[in-house]
Amino acid sequence: MRDVFSSFHPIVNFIYFVLVIMCSMFFMHPVFLGISLCSAILYSIYLNGIRAIKFNFLFMLPVLLLFAALNPLFNHEGATVLFHIQNNPITAEALIYGLAAAAMFVSVIIWFSCYNVVMTSDKFIFLFGRVIPALSLVLSMVLRLIPRLKAQIHMISNAQKCVGQDATNGNMLQRVKNGLKILSVLVTWAFENAIDTADSMKSRGYGLKGRTSFSNYRFDRRDGLAMGFILFFFLPVIFGALTGENNIIYFPSVLVKPLSAVSLIVYIAYGGLCLLPLIFNILEDIKWARLRSRV
Amino acid sequence: MGSFEIKSLTFSYPESERPALDHIDMTVRDGEFVLICGCSGCGKSTLLRHLKTVLTPHGKREGEILFDGKPLEKADLYTQSSKIGYVLQNPENQIVTDKVWHELAFGLESLGWPSETIRLRVAEMASFFGIQNWFLKNVTELSGGQKQLLNLASVMAMQPSVLILDEPTSQLDPIAASEFLETVKKINRELGTTVLLSEHRLDEILPVADRVAVLDQGKLVCYDTPKKVGNFLKNQAHEMFSAMPAPVQIYAGVPNDLECPLTVRDGRNWLNRLFSGKKVSNTEPEQKSVCFSEETVIQMKDVWFKYEKNGADVVSDLSLCVRKGEWYSIVGGNGTGKTTTLNLLSRIILPYRGKILLNGRDLAKYTDKELFTKNLGVLPQNPQALFVKKTVEMDFLEMLSGTKLSEAEKLQKVREAAKLVDMTPFMQMHPYDLSGGEQQRAALGKVLLLEPKILLLDEPTKGIDGHFKTKLAAVLKKLQQTGVTIVMVSHDIEFCAKYADTCAMFFNGNIVASGPTGSFFSGNSFYTTAANRMSRHLFPHAVTNEDVILLCQKNR
Repeated sequence: MRDVFSSFHPIVNFIYFVLVIMCSMFFMHPVFLGISLCSAILYSIYLNGIRAIKFNFLFMLPVLLLFAALNPLFNHEGATVLFHIQNNPITAEALIYGLAAAAMFVSVIIWFSCYNVVMTSDKFIFLFGRVIPALSLVLSMVLRLIPRLKAQIHMISNAQKCVGQDATNGNMLQRVKNGLKILSVLVTWAFENAIDTADSMKSRGYGLKGRTSFSNYRFDRRDGLAMGFILFFFLPVIFGALTGENNIIYFPSVLVKPLSAVSLIVYIAYGGLCLLPLIFNILEDIKWARLRSRV
Repeated sequence: MGSFEIKSLTFSYPESERPALDHIDMTVRDGEFVLICGCSGCGKSTLLRHLKTVLTPHGKREGEILFDGKPLEKADLYTQSSKIGYVLQNPENQIVTDKVWHELAFGLESLGWPSETIRLRVAEMASFFGIQNWFLKNVTELSGGQKQLLNLASVMAMQPSVLILDEPTSQLDPIAASEFLETVKKINRELGTTVLLSEHRLDEILPVADRVAVLDQGKLVCYDTPKKVGNFLKNQAHEMFSAMPAPVQIYAGVPNDLECPLTVRDGRNWLNRLFSGKKVSNTEPEQKSVCFSEETVIQMKDVWFKYEKNGADVVSDLSLCVRKGEWYSIVGGNGTGKTTTLNLLSRIILPYRGKILLNGRDLAKYTDKELFTKNLGVLPQNPQALFVKKTVEMDFLEMLSGTKLSEAEKLQKVREAAKLVDMTPFMQMHPYDLSGGEQQRAALGKVLLLEPKILLLDEPTKGIDGHFKTKLAAVLKKLQQTGVTIVMVSHDIEFCAKYADTCAMFFNGNIVASGPTGSFFSGNSFYTTAANRMSRHLFPHAVTNEDVILLCQKNR
């Protein structure tokens, strides 16, 4: 499945993830946590399909429950005592707080899993190449080198295996010796070949003054519009944070601002922000369905 | 724009007695296609590297090089970078970045051009070279041929007026190589770019070159049109003559005064004219004597292999049988499972169905020691993967480190192996300083110290020139006579036709045809030697150049 949000300019992607992950970390209000967690799960499923479902339920759900269960065992603050375990009070506040902290933790992890899919190495290199141009080339060269070294070590190891000198042959000492030997071959090989790479770079003018950095990305009107949407949803959330709508006090007893028209608007805005990638995708789907029906 | 004038260029590497280039005088006119040939180590690369200042090696140098009428050193880095394009031998090593599009833009970024211009240039190049479909890919996903094409495209993106290519196809399989050379021809023809190309596989490129320069030990022995060069080499009985295309060699082997043919088509016409009005009665080449026994050493029974459970079968339902002392060669296109089969035989990978028997015993039941000492020897495609020490001799000794021999015995054995593979003069050199053909033989010598009875070779002729091929074949023939069985995977049809006993054609993970070399190749109409394609209407069973020459002489 192709994700529309990924097709925006890297800066849009990056800012979006920074904002969403920050919000998820700082707003401990249950409504906010719920919105963030649900949206993160939905988006990760949209991006990764069946793999994300497995990940979320097999790993994230146990983590969430474990956190929630552990917190009241160690944290005994709170006014509402539910029962005692070996003279230690278990409080409702600690239980709720544990659940909230776990939800925060899990939602941040899931947001990061989405970030990984959307922010490919290309985009990352592009963004940081803007700040430090030399870095972008170095990163790109490193990304080229790693798979090559991996393939080469595989090849050397196979060749050595066939003369009985691989890291899987012989006793422990022999294996270590053979392993080191393979590594030394790899290093010799890498240096030898780096000379060619250096020649190829020099011959294509590397080292001339005023090197530019080319990218496939262009910040167009659509990206501007997306930035606008992000801000449109983000500003009410900030307003909510300043007026205390997003705050919650867990100890000694849970205290939140009562639900009002203002808080409702803040919730909706936050929901909009978190669901924005999915909204873009749905809008795009509708557009395509319409285009096709017109043909 | 794009001409070179080399005036009496002499160059020697530091601490070297013999000059690597010796009074070279040559001119390359604008838009010309110049082919430079010569044996390994004759100075081809050294000469080409002198045509671009940043690549020029250090050493003592006399003489002068003019680029577009001005001394080359006077042209600044910017001009040289953009005007003189240079493609090196190894496709992998030249690629700098991780993405195809970034690689294409690399040179233009260096020149400091704005994004808008780079976008246009990159788009132009991608379209010209047919790269659009893999434009956004990672370079690791490309095949060797695509990588070299990418190198060419990223050089061409800077719009050079001269394109220099140093053995660009030596690491490619024949199909990819001819596709690459086709593109170079197109660049020369349609863009008028001057091309200087060094190559040792001349069959395809010789007919299109305007002029051919032959280098020998740093001297320019001949610089003329292809036909005249062919004649010259023939008259001189020059070593380089063995690199000429089959039609030229056959032409030279038969006394006649017709014009020299360069292509298979010309060769057919030449044969027709040679025998016009005459009756060709003797059409059968001499049968090769078969010297291997009937005893089976390797047997594969209905073997299946795939890399992943849900992946496609790489080897499917493969059965083959190799007899003791046989030279068995497997030919076929890229990605048909040839190398995988070799890996199955050397137990690097295991089949998921079927059986492999070695000397009648299940391959999986051997211990590593039983399998790889005095039994199975494997020469990897890249010999560099085998070298672990500073000198060839130390490397050889390393192989005997686990045995209980005395130092003197070890040295004796190493010397014998060195002699067998003809490496005695190079024993004190670093393995990486050897040329491709020498590395290949050094690696072979190392494997031979384990005294294998069966030798598995993966494309042993890749990237080495005719002279070294002959040497390698001599070593292998010697081994064969001592009873060693050879299983070889190769793209090199001419080499297989000349030396192998049995050939098998691989396709789609399976052997589709196999048989004694002569009948195997004469049965194919496309996948066969140039000599056979050229002469099959007269001598349907002649496969090698020697066969055809002999038959021509008999019938005159």
